[in-house]
Amino acid sequence: MADKIKIGTMWLGGCSGCHLAIADFHESLIDILELADFEFSPVLCDTKYDEIPELDVCIIEGGIRNDENRELAELLREKSNLVIAFGTCAVYGGIPGLGNLHTVDELTTEAYINSVSTPNDEGLIPNEEVPHLENRVRSLPQAIDVDLIIPGCPPRSDVIAEAVLTLLKGGTIELPTTNLCEVCPREKPPEGLAMDFVKRQMEVGKPEDDLCLIAQGLVCLGPATVSLCGAECPGIAIPCRGCYGPTAKIVDAGAKMISAIASDYRVGDDKTVDPEEVAGQLDDLVGTFYSYTLPAALVPMKMQKGGK
Amino acid sequence: MAEEVKIVMFCCNWCSYGGADTAGTARMQYPPNIRVIRVMCSGRIDPQFVLKAFREGADGVIVAGCHMGDCHYDAGNYKLDRRMRIIYNLIEELGIERERLYHDWISASEGEKFANTVRMMVAKIKDLGPSPLKEQIEA
Ligand code: SF4
Ligand code: SF4
Ligand code: SF4
Ligand code: FES
Repeated sequence: MADKIKIGTMWLGGCSGCHLAIADFHESLIDILELADFEFSPVLCDTKYDEIPELDVCIIEGGIRNDENRELAELLREKSNLVIAFGTCAVYGGIPGLGNLHTVDELTTEAYINSVSTPNDEGLIPNEEVPHLENRVRSLPQAIDVDLIIPGCPPRSDVIAEAVLTLLKGGTIELPTTNLCEVCPREKPPEGLAMDFVKRQMEVGKPEDDLCLIAQGLVCLGPATVSLCGAECPGIAIPCRGCYGPTAKIVDAGAKMISAIASDYRVGDDKTVDPEEVAGQLDDLVGTFYSYTLPAALVPMKMQKGGK
Repeated sequence: MAEEVKIVMFCCNWCSYGGADTAGTARMQYPPNIRVIRVMCSGRIDPQFVLKAFREGADGVIVAGCHMGDCHYDAGNYKLDRRMRIIYNLIEELGIERERLYHDWISASEGEKFANTVRMMVAKIKDLGPSPLKEQIEA
Protein backbone atom coordinates (compact mmCIF):
# COMPACT_ATOMS: atom_id res chain seq x y z
CA MET A 1 0.00 0.00 0.00
CA ALA A 2 1.34 3.32 -1.01
CA ASP A 3 0.48 5.43 1.99
CA LYS A 4 1.60 3.16 4.73
CA ILE A 5 3.97 4.79 7.18
CA LYS A 6 7.58 3.78 6.66
CA ILE A 7 9.32 2.61 9.80
CA GLY A 8 13.00 1.87 10.12
CA THR A 9 14.89 0.43 13.06
CA MET A 10 18.60 0.42 13.75
CA TRP A 11 20.95 -0.88 16.40
CA LEU A 12 24.04 1.08 17.39
CA GLY A 13 25.94 0.72 20.66
CA GLY A 14 23.46 -1.63 22.30
CA CYS A 15 23.02 -5.33 22.91
CA SER A 16 20.07 -5.97 20.52
CA GLY A 17 17.84 -6.63 23.54
CA CYS A 18 15.71 -3.66 22.59
CA HIS A 19 15.14 -5.17 19.16
CA LEU A 20 14.09 -8.42 20.80
CA ALA A 21 11.50 -6.41 22.69
CA ILE A 22 10.15 -5.31 19.28
CA ALA A 23 10.11 -8.92 18.17
CA ASP A 24 8.00 -9.56 21.27
CA PHE A 25 5.12 -7.33 20.13
CA HIS A 26 2.88 -10.36 19.61
CA GLU A 27 -0.59 -9.43 18.36
CA SER A 28 0.12 -5.71 18.45
CA LEU A 29 2.38 -6.33 15.48
CA ILE A 30 -0.70 -7.01 13.38
CA ASP A 31 -2.18 -3.64 14.33
CA ILE A 32 1.08 -1.91 13.61
CA LEU A 33 1.54 -3.60 10.25
CA GLU A 34 -1.88 -2.41 9.20
CA LEU A 35 -0.66 1.14 9.44
CA ALA A 36 3.03 0.81 8.69
CA ASP A 37 5.73 -1.21 7.02
CA PHE A 38 9.20 -1.96 8.30
CA GLU A 39 11.30 -0.66 5.42
CA PHE A 40 14.70 -0.88 7.01
CA SER A 41 15.60 -3.06 9.95
CA PRO A 42 18.75 -5.13 10.37
CA VAL A 43 16.91 -7.57 12.61
CA LEU A 44 14.12 -8.19 10.08
CA CYS A 45 15.49 -7.63 6.61
CA ASP A 46 18.66 -7.55 4.59
CA THR A 47 19.90 -4.00 4.94
CA LYS A 48 22.59 -2.10 3.09
CA TYR A 49 23.96 1.05 4.57
CA ASP A 50 24.14 2.69 1.16
CA GLU A 51 20.51 1.87 0.44
CA ILE A 52 18.75 3.44 3.39
CA PRO A 53 15.31 4.57 2.21
CA GLU A 54 13.55 7.77 3.27
CA LEU A 55 11.74 6.95 6.51
CA ASP A 56 8.85 8.45 8.39
CA VAL A 57 9.89 7.03 11.72
CA CYS A 58 13.26 5.63 12.73
CA ILE A 59 13.60 3.71 15.97
CA ILE A 60 17.22 3.69 17.11
CA GLU A 61 18.63 1.37 19.76
CA GLY A 62 21.96 1.98 21.45
CA GLY A 63 24.21 4.92 22.06
CA ILE A 64 27.33 6.10 20.27
CA ARG A 65 30.33 3.93 21.09
CA ASN A 66 32.33 4.14 17.87
CA ASP A 67 32.66 6.18 14.70
CA GLU A 68 30.42 3.83 12.76
CA ASN A 69 27.60 4.37 15.27
CA ARG A 70 27.96 8.11 14.82
CA GLU A 71 28.00 7.97 11.03
CA LEU A 72 24.88 5.82 10.94
CA ALA A 73 23.07 7.97 13.49
CA GLU A 74 23.75 11.06 11.40
CA LEU A 75 22.71 9.34 8.19
CA LEU A 76 19.48 8.02 9.71
CA ARG A 77 18.71 11.45 11.10
CA GLU A 78 18.93 12.85 7.58
CA LYS A 79 16.72 10.12 6.14
CA SER A 80 14.03 10.20 8.82
CA ASN A 81 11.22 12.52 9.70
CA LEU A 82 11.01 11.43 13.28
CA VAL A 83 13.74 9.78 15.30
CA ILE A 84 13.01 7.81 18.45
CA ALA A 85 15.82 7.15 20.92
CA PHE A 86 14.78 3.70 21.89
CA GLY A 87 15.90 1.99 25.05
CA THR A 88 18.13 3.18 27.84
CA CYS A 89 21.37 2.79 25.86
CA ALA A 90 20.07 5.23 23.27
CA VAL A 91 18.52 7.62 25.77
CA TYR A 92 21.20 7.67 28.51
CA GLY A 93 24.08 5.54 27.23
CA GLY A 94 23.04 2.51 29.24
CA ILE A 95 25.22 -0.25 30.62
CA PRO A 96 27.92 0.08 27.92
CA GLY A 97 28.37 3.57 29.36
CA LEU A 98 30.18 2.09 32.35
CA GLY A 99 33.04 1.74 29.89
CA ASN A 100 33.47 5.48 30.43
CA LEU A 101 35.36 4.59 33.61
CA HIS A 102 38.20 3.42 31.37
CA THR A 103 40.25 4.82 28.53
CA VAL A 104 39.96 3.39 25.05
CA ASP A 105 43.40 1.85 25.48
CA GLU A 106 42.36 0.09 28.66
CA LEU A 107 39.20 -1.23 27.01
CA THR A 108 40.86 -2.57 23.87
CA THR A 109 43.72 -4.10 25.84
CA GLU A 110 41.22 -5.83 28.10
CA ALA A 111 39.11 -7.08 25.20
CA TYR A 112 41.84 -8.18 22.82
CA ILE A 113 44.80 -9.04 25.01
CA ASN A 114 43.88 -9.70 28.64
CA SER A 115 40.66 -11.54 27.97
CA VAL A 116 41.32 -15.23 28.68
CA SER A 117 39.02 -16.38 25.92
CA THR A 118 40.91 -14.45 23.25
CA PRO A 119 44.06 -16.18 22.02
CA ASN A 120 46.26 -13.33 20.86
CA ASP A 121 49.88 -14.30 21.42
CA GLU A 122 51.18 -11.45 19.36
CA GLY A 123 49.17 -8.95 21.36
CA LEU A 124 47.67 -7.34 18.28
CA ILE A 125 44.90 -4.82 18.57
CA PRO A 126 42.87 -4.70 15.37
CA ASN A 127 42.85 -1.24 13.91
CA GLU A 128 42.04 -1.71 10.25
CA GLU A 129 38.56 -2.17 8.86
CA VAL A 130 37.04 -2.05 12.31
CA PRO A 131 35.17 0.98 13.66
CA HIS A 132 37.24 3.04 16.05
CA LEU A 133 36.01 3.57 19.57
CA GLU A 134 35.29 7.18 20.45
CA ASN A 135 36.82 8.50 23.66
CA ARG A 136 33.63 7.64 25.54
CA VAL A 137 30.09 6.36 25.11
CA ARG A 138 27.58 9.08 24.38
CA SER A 139 23.83 8.90 24.38
CA LEU A 140 22.01 9.35 21.07
CA PRO A 141 20.69 12.83 21.96
CA GLN A 142 24.30 13.89 22.54
CA ALA A 143 25.04 13.08 18.90
CA ILE A 144 21.88 13.92 16.93
CA ASP A 145 18.50 15.59 17.50
CA VAL A 146 15.92 13.10 18.66
CA ASP A 147 12.19 13.72 18.65
CA LEU A 148 11.12 11.25 21.27
CA ILE A 149 12.63 9.04 23.93
CA ILE A 150 11.40 5.64 25.06
CA PRO A 151 13.71 4.44 27.84
CA GLY A 152 13.93 0.98 29.38
CA CYS A 153 16.46 -1.82 29.33
CA PRO A 154 14.76 -3.01 27.29
CA PRO A 155 11.50 -1.07 27.24
CA ARG A 156 8.52 -3.30 27.90
CA SER A 157 7.07 -4.59 24.64
CA ASP A 158 3.56 -3.45 25.54
CA VAL A 159 4.86 0.06 26.31
CA ILE A 160 6.65 0.28 22.95
CA ALA A 161 3.75 -1.17 20.99
CA GLU A 162 1.36 1.29 22.58
CA ALA A 163 3.71 4.20 21.95
CA VAL A 164 4.29 3.24 18.33
CA LEU A 165 0.56 2.73 17.72
CA THR A 166 -0.29 6.08 19.28
CA LEU A 167 2.30 7.74 17.07
CA LEU A 168 1.11 5.99 13.92
CA LYS A 169 -2.40 7.20 14.64
CA GLY A 170 -1.10 10.75 14.89
CA GLY A 171 -1.30 11.03 18.67
CA THR A 172 1.34 12.40 20.99
CA ILE A 173 3.23 10.50 23.62
CA GLU A 174 4.01 11.71 27.07
CA LEU A 175 6.23 9.93 29.50
CA PRO A 176 5.03 9.74 33.10
CA THR A 177 6.41 12.43 35.40
CA THR A 178 6.05 10.32 38.54
CA ASN A 179 8.73 8.16 40.09
CA LEU A 180 8.56 4.44 40.65
CA CYS A 181 7.54 4.72 44.30
CA GLU A 182 4.26 6.27 43.20
CA VAL A 183 3.25 3.08 41.45
CA CYS A 184 5.07 0.59 43.68
CA PRO A 185 2.68 -1.46 45.78
CA ARG A 186 5.10 -1.71 48.70
CA GLU A 187 4.14 0.18 51.81
CA LYS A 188 6.22 3.28 52.51
CA PRO A 189 7.05 3.75 56.17
CA PRO A 190 5.72 6.99 57.71
CA GLU A 191 9.29 8.25 58.33
CA GLY A 192 9.85 8.30 54.59
CA LEU A 193 12.76 6.50 53.03
CA ALA A 194 14.85 6.18 56.15
CA MET A 195 17.38 3.35 56.15
CA ASP A 196 19.04 2.17 59.33
CA PHE A 197 21.66 0.15 57.52
CA VAL A 198 22.61 -0.71 53.96
CA LYS A 199 22.55 -4.37 53.00
CA ARG A 200 23.01 -6.38 49.88
CA GLN A 201 20.25 -8.64 48.75
CA MET A 202 22.19 -11.79 49.63
CA GLU A 203 22.49 -10.56 53.23
CA VAL A 204 18.80 -9.85 53.51
CA GLY A 205 17.58 -13.03 51.85
CA LYS A 206 13.95 -12.74 50.89
CA PRO A 207 12.72 -9.32 51.92
CA GLU A 208 9.47 -8.85 53.82
CA ASP A 209 6.52 -8.99 51.51
CA ASP A 210 4.78 -5.66 51.68
CA LEU A 211 7.31 -3.19 53.06
CA CYS A 212 9.37 -0.76 50.98
CA LEU A 213 12.77 -2.27 50.20
CA ILE A 214 14.69 0.83 51.27
CA ALA A 215 13.20 0.50 54.73
CA GLN A 216 14.67 -3.03 54.73
CA GLY A 217 18.16 -1.78 53.98
CA LEU A 218 18.22 -2.44 50.25
CA VAL A 219 19.33 0.27 47.85
CA CYS A 220 16.27 0.60 45.61
CA LEU A 221 16.55 3.32 42.97
CA GLY A 222 12.78 3.73 42.77
CA PRO A 223 12.78 7.30 44.14
CA ALA A 224 14.95 8.53 41.24
CA THR A 225 13.48 6.32 38.50
CA VAL A 226 10.61 7.07 36.13
CA SER A 227 7.46 5.01 36.69
CA LEU A 228 7.24 3.59 33.17
CA CYS A 229 7.78 -0.09 34.01
CA GLY A 230 5.13 -0.28 36.70
CA ALA A 231 7.65 -1.23 39.42
CA GLU A 232 8.40 -4.64 37.98
CA CYS A 233 11.38 -5.42 40.18
CA PRO A 234 10.15 -4.29 43.61
CA GLY A 235 6.98 -6.21 42.70
CA ILE A 236 9.03 -9.40 42.81
CA ALA A 237 11.19 -8.41 45.79
CA ILE A 238 14.18 -7.13 43.84
CA PRO A 239 15.40 -3.55 44.30
CA CYS A 240 15.09 -1.30 41.28
CA ARG A 241 18.42 -0.66 39.57
CA GLY A 242 17.10 2.30 37.65
CA CYS A 243 17.01 0.72 34.21
CA TYR A 244 14.37 3.13 32.85
CA GLY A 245 16.39 6.14 33.89
CA PRO A 246 15.20 9.17 35.84
CA THR A 247 12.10 11.32 35.64
CA ALA A 248 12.42 14.38 33.40
CA LYS A 249 13.00 16.76 36.32
CA ILE A 250 16.20 15.02 37.40
CA VAL A 251 19.44 16.08 35.73
CA ASP A 252 21.73 13.47 37.24
CA ALA A 253 19.98 10.31 38.41
CA GLY A 254 22.83 8.88 40.45
CA ALA A 255 23.53 12.09 42.33
CA LYS A 256 19.85 12.53 43.11
CA MET A 257 19.60 9.08 44.57
CA ILE A 258 22.78 9.47 46.62
CA SER A 259 21.29 12.64 48.02
CA ALA A 260 18.07 10.90 48.99
CA ILE A 261 19.80 8.01 50.72
CA ALA A 262 22.26 10.17 52.63
CA SER A 263 19.61 12.65 53.80
CA ASP A 264 17.30 10.04 55.22
CA TYR A 265 19.87 7.60 56.53
CA ARG A 266 19.01 7.05 60.21
CA VAL A 267 17.22 10.34 60.09
CA GLY A 268 15.70 9.63 63.51
CA ASP A 269 19.21 9.91 65.03
CA ASP A 270 20.08 12.76 62.71
CA LYS A 271 22.40 14.49 65.14
CA THR A 272 24.12 11.55 66.72
CA VAL A 273 24.76 9.17 63.85
CA ASP A 274 28.36 9.03 62.64
CA PRO A 275 28.30 10.99 59.35
CA GLU A 276 30.77 8.52 57.87
CA GLU A 277 28.54 5.52 58.59
CA VAL A 278 26.41 5.51 55.46
CA ALA A 279 29.34 6.34 53.18
CA GLY A 280 31.23 3.41 54.69
CA GLN A 281 28.44 1.01 53.80
CA LEU A 282 28.24 1.90 50.13
CA ASP A 283 30.87 0.88 47.67
CA ASP A 284 31.13 0.91 43.90
CA LEU A 285 29.08 4.09 43.84
CA VAL A 286 29.18 4.48 40.06
CA GLY A 287 28.22 0.83 39.56
CA THR A 288 25.38 1.17 42.05
CA PHE A 289 23.93 4.53 41.15
CA TYR A 290 24.95 5.03 37.52
CA SER A 291 24.75 1.54 36.02
CA TYR A 292 22.45 2.81 33.29
CA THR A 293 23.05 6.54 33.06
CA LEU A 294 26.74 7.39 33.35
CA PRO A 295 27.12 8.90 29.83
CA ALA A 296 24.22 11.26 30.56
CA ALA A 297 25.50 12.21 34.02
CA LEU A 298 26.99 15.60 34.86
CA VAL A 299 30.41 13.95 35.03
CA PRO A 300 29.97 11.39 32.26
CA MET A 301 33.40 9.80 32.35
CA LYS A 302 36.34 9.19 34.58
CA MET A 303 38.69 12.13 34.57
CA GLN A 304 42.15 11.22 33.40
CA LYS A 305 45.00 12.71 35.35
CA GLY A 306 46.14 15.99 34.01
CA GLY A 307 47.03 19.24 35.68
CA LYS A 308 50.52 19.11 37.04
CA MET B 1 46.77 32.71 33.29
CA ALA B 2 47.08 28.99 33.77
CA GLU B 3 47.71 29.59 37.46
CA GLU B 4 44.36 31.23 38.00
CA VAL B 5 42.49 28.32 39.51
CA LYS B 6 38.76 28.73 40.01
CA ILE B 7 37.01 27.57 43.14
CA VAL B 8 33.26 27.50 43.58
CA MET B 9 32.16 27.98 47.17
CA PHE B 10 28.63 27.27 48.38
CA CYS B 11 27.76 29.17 51.56
CA CYS B 12 24.61 28.90 53.60
CA ASN B 13 22.75 32.14 54.03
CA TRP B 14 22.64 32.23 57.82
CA CYS B 15 26.20 31.46 58.86
CA SER B 16 28.87 30.97 56.23
CA TYR B 17 27.69 33.74 53.94
CA GLY B 18 27.71 35.95 57.03
CA GLY B 19 31.27 34.75 57.61
CA ALA B 20 32.16 35.99 54.12
CA ASP B 21 30.58 39.35 54.96
CA THR B 22 32.50 39.58 58.19
CA ALA B 23 35.75 38.86 56.35
CA GLY B 24 34.79 41.55 53.85
CA THR B 25 33.82 44.28 56.31
CA ALA B 26 36.99 43.60 58.30
CA ARG B 27 38.95 43.97 55.03
CA MET B 28 40.66 40.64 55.46
CA GLN B 29 42.79 39.67 52.50
CA TYR B 30 42.22 36.42 50.70
CA PRO B 31 42.90 35.28 47.14
CA PRO B 32 40.30 36.24 44.53
CA ASN B 33 39.99 32.72 43.13
CA ILE B 34 36.62 31.93 44.66
CA ARG B 35 33.11 32.46 43.38
CA VAL B 36 30.63 32.33 46.24
CA ILE B 37 27.15 30.94 45.66
CA ARG B 38 24.67 31.57 48.43
CA VAL B 39 22.14 28.89 49.28
CA MET B 40 19.60 29.10 52.08
CA CYS B 41 21.05 26.16 54.00
CA SER B 42 23.95 23.78 53.45
CA GLY B 43 21.29 21.08 53.57
CA ARG B 44 20.15 22.40 50.18
CA ILE B 45 23.39 21.30 48.57
CA ASP B 46 22.60 18.48 46.24
CA PRO B 47 25.47 16.33 44.92
CA GLN B 48 24.34 17.59 41.50
CA PHE B 49 25.56 21.08 42.45
CA VAL B 50 29.03 19.83 43.21
CA LEU B 51 29.24 17.70 40.07
CA LYS B 52 27.91 20.53 37.93
CA ALA B 53 30.57 22.88 39.30
CA PHE B 54 33.31 20.41 38.36
CA ARG B 55 31.75 19.81 34.97
CA GLU B 56 31.62 23.52 34.22
CA GLY B 57 35.30 23.83 34.95
CA ALA B 58 35.71 24.46 38.67
CA ASP B 59 39.14 23.35 39.87
CA GLY B 60 37.88 22.99 43.41
CA VAL B 61 34.63 23.17 45.36
CA ILE B 62 34.03 24.26 48.95
CA VAL B 63 30.78 23.73 50.81
CA ALA B 64 30.30 25.70 54.01
CA GLY B 65 27.45 25.67 56.51
CA CYS B 66 26.64 26.54 60.11
CA HIS B 67 28.36 24.74 62.95
CA MET B 68 26.56 21.67 64.25
CA GLY B 69 23.67 22.80 66.39
CA ASP B 70 23.48 26.22 64.73
CA CYS B 71 21.67 25.36 61.50
CA HIS B 72 18.79 27.76 61.02
CA TYR B 73 16.66 24.84 59.92
CA ASP B 74 17.83 22.62 62.75
CA ALA B 75 19.61 19.76 61.00
CA GLY B 76 20.35 20.62 57.37
CA ASN B 77 24.07 20.52 58.01
CA TYR B 78 23.90 17.04 59.55
CA LYS B 79 22.29 15.76 56.37
CA LEU B 80 24.83 17.61 54.25
CA ASP B 81 27.64 16.10 56.30
CA ARG B 82 26.44 12.55 55.52
CA ARG B 83 25.98 13.44 51.88
CA MET B 84 29.45 14.96 51.54
CA ARG B 85 31.14 11.79 52.80
CA ILE B 86 29.60 9.90 49.90
CA ILE B 87 30.39 12.66 47.38
CA TYR B 88 34.11 12.53 48.25
CA ASN B 89 34.08 8.82 47.43
CA LEU B 90 32.04 9.38 44.28
CA ILE B 91 34.30 12.01 42.78
CA GLU B 92 37.28 9.83 43.53
CA GLU B 93 35.67 6.98 41.57
CA LEU B 94 35.22 9.50 38.78
CA GLY B 95 38.92 10.28 38.81
CA ILE B 96 38.59 13.69 40.47
CA GLU B 97 41.03 13.99 43.39
CA ARG B 98 39.11 14.18 46.66
CA GLU B 99 41.33 17.09 47.70
CA ARG B 100 39.47 19.20 45.16
CA LEU B 101 36.45 19.09 47.43
CA TYR B 102 36.22 20.40 50.98
CA HIS B 103 33.47 21.10 53.45
CA ASP B 104 33.56 22.87 56.78
CA TRP B 105 31.47 24.86 59.23
CA ILE B 106 31.92 28.63 59.33
CA SER B 107 29.78 30.89 61.53
CA ALA B 108 28.80 34.46 60.71
CA SER B 109 31.38 35.79 63.17
CA GLU B 110 34.23 33.68 61.83
CA GLY B 111 35.54 36.02 59.14
CA GLU B 112 39.04 34.82 59.89
CA LYS B 113 38.08 31.19 59.44
CA PHE B 114 36.40 32.07 56.15
CA ALA B 115 39.53 33.79 54.85
CA ASN B 116 41.77 30.97 56.10
CA THR B 117 39.59 28.32 54.48
CA VAL B 118 39.81 30.12 51.14
CA ARG B 119 43.58 30.57 51.46
CA MET B 120 44.08 26.93 52.41
CA MET B 121 41.94 25.68 49.53
CA VAL B 122 43.49 27.97 46.91
CA ALA B 123 46.96 26.79 47.96
CA LYS B 124 45.88 23.16 47.82
CA ILE B 125 44.29 23.53 44.38
CA LYS B 126 47.25 25.44 42.97
CA ASP B 127 49.34 22.55 44.10
CA LEU B 128 47.09 20.04 42.33
CA GLY B 129 46.91 22.18 39.21
CA PRO B 130 43.84 23.03 37.16
CA SER B 131 41.23 20.33 36.66
CA PRO B 132 41.38 18.85 33.16
CA LEU B 133 37.82 17.55 33.44
CA LYS B 134 35.98 20.18 31.41
CA GLU B 135 38.45 19.95 28.57
CA GLN B 136 38.22 16.15 28.59
CA ILE B 137 34.44 16.21 28.54
CA GLU B 138 34.36 18.68 25.66
CA ALA B 139 37.05 16.88 23.67
S1 SF4 C 1 18.80 -0.65 26.64
FE1 SF4 C 1 19.27 -2.66 27.52
S2 SF4 C 1 18.24 -4.12 26.17
FE2 SF4 C 1 18.38 -2.17 25.05
S3 SF4 C 1 20.29 -2.29 23.89
FE3 SF4 C 1 20.78 -1.32 25.83
S4 SF4 C 1 21.48 -2.99 27.16
FE4 SF4 C 1 20.36 -3.92 25.44
S1 SF4 D 1 10.49 -0.52 47.19
FE1 SF4 D 1 11.63 0.91 45.91
S2 SF4 D 1 10.13 1.62 44.40
FE2 SF4 D 1 8.97 0.65 46.07
S3 SF4 D 1 8.45 2.35 47.43
FE3 SF4 D 1 10.37 1.47 48.19
S4 SF4 D 1 11.98 2.71 47.21
FE4 SF4 D 1 10.09 3.09 46.07
S1 SF4 E 1 11.92 -1.73 38.62
FE1 SF4 E 1 13.70 -0.49 38.03
S2 SF4 E 1 15.23 -1.97 37.35
FE2 SF4 E 1 13.23 -3.03 37.39
S3 SF4 E 1 12.41 -2.83 35.31
FE3 SF4 E 1 11.60 -1.09 36.50
S4 SF4 E 1 13.08 0.57 36.18
FE4 SF4 E 1 14.08 -1.33 35.53
S1 FES F 1 21.30 27.33 57.68
FE1 FES F 1 23.46 27.19 57.74
S2 FES F 1 23.67 25.03 57.53
FE2 FES F 1 21.51 25.16 57.64
